[in-house]
This record gives sequence, structure tokens and C-alpha cells, in this order.
Amino acid sequence: MKKTDILDVVSRKLAPFILLFGFYLLTYGHLSPGGGFQGGVTIASAVILLFLAKGTERVLEVFPLKSVHYTEAYGFFAFLLTGIAGLVFGEGFLSSFLKVKGAGAIPGGGTILLLNIIIGLKVGAGITLICYYLFKEREE
Amino acid sequence: MTTLLLALHVLLAVIILVSRNMLTAVILLAVLSLFSSLLFFILHAPDVALTEAAVGAGVSTFLYIWIIRKTEMEIKP
Repeated sequence: MKKTDILDVVSRKLAPFILLFGFYLLTYGHLSPGGGFQGGVTIASAVILLFLAKGTERVLEVFPLKSVHYTEAYGFFAFLLTGIAGLVFGEGFLSSFLKVKGAGAIPGGGTILLLNIIIGLKVGAGITLICYYLFKEREE
Repeated sequence: MTTLLLALHVLLAVIILVSRNMLTAVILLAVLSLFSSLLFFILHAPDVALTEAAVGAGVSTFLYIWIIRKTEMEIKP
């Protein structure tokens, strides 16, 4: 693929802000619009932008392929573990067992914050992996 | 405002359907998705608007362009 300076400069300046916005959507998911899926897709689109501009090898130095695979595979396990912890320590499956104060603040969500972050990392890793294997098929 | 946006949806969809160039169709599909996101925001559904903007304009456009690169660009009559 022919690389241009415009794509190079714009992606290098824009991708950190897209990543930051994705993590903002994850952490504020229980207070404002956003949540696990939206934040995960936003994170994945930042990584895809870097794939397009820099090639896959340079990006995989920052996000190693093995850890992305592990995040995608163990994400659902962590979600299930949080739900069972609610069954053990709280009232039922997925119930919030953390006793937190301050509704309307970041830790006020209890386990909702934890579940949002787990879902976001899993969705982001999954979409990144789909696009990475599409890229790899072209390069071969 | 809502009626105007819905009319724009119909217009863009007709242009996408009759266009002979695949790349034009995919870019216009991303624009349609963006206007759809604006419509969801006006109708007080900001969660759906965020999802539509991220998936419709970001990831699915990328996947369609990828498929176009591996196949034909023009529709043969």
C-alpha cells in the first residue's frame, strides 16, 4: 500500500486521543453515555488506525500479540468470576458486593465499573485480532 | 429537523444503491451512518449514537474497504 505523509502525521497525532477517549468511555460508563462495548470499539479503532499507518510489526511491539490473545480469551472468564463473586459475597449472580460510598463519582459504581472495564478490554482485543488476521492474510 | 434528517437518509440510500463505483458507495455509507448517529442523538439515545458512530463509521467501513481491495472496484454491467 502506498503511504502518504498525511496519513502518517494524522494517525500519529490522533491515535493517542482516540485511545484516551476509549478509556474515558470505559471508566465513565455508569455515569454518562458509553460503556463496555462502545469503549472497546473505540480502542480497537485506534489500534486499527495505527495498523493502517505504521504496519502491523511496529504496533505489535506496543501491543504484543500474545497478551492480546490472552486478554480476549480470559476476558469472559474474568466476567464470570466477578459474577460468581457476587453470588458468594452478595445477594445473587452479578450483584454488587463492594460497599462503596459516593453515588455519582467514579468508584460509586461498585462492580459495574469493573465489569465495564473487563467487557471493554475483551471487545477491543477481539476486534483488533479480527482486523490483524485480515491484514496478515493480505501480506502473505 | 428529524424529518430533514430522515429525508437525507432516503436520498443517501438511493445514491448508494445506484452508484457504480464501490468505493463511492462505501464512503457514502459511512456518511449515512454519521447522519444516523446524529438522528439517534436528537432522539435522546446517546448510547446508541455512540455505538453507531464507532461501529458504522469506523470498523465496518474499514472491513468493506478491505473487501473491495481484494475484489473488483467497478460493477460490470
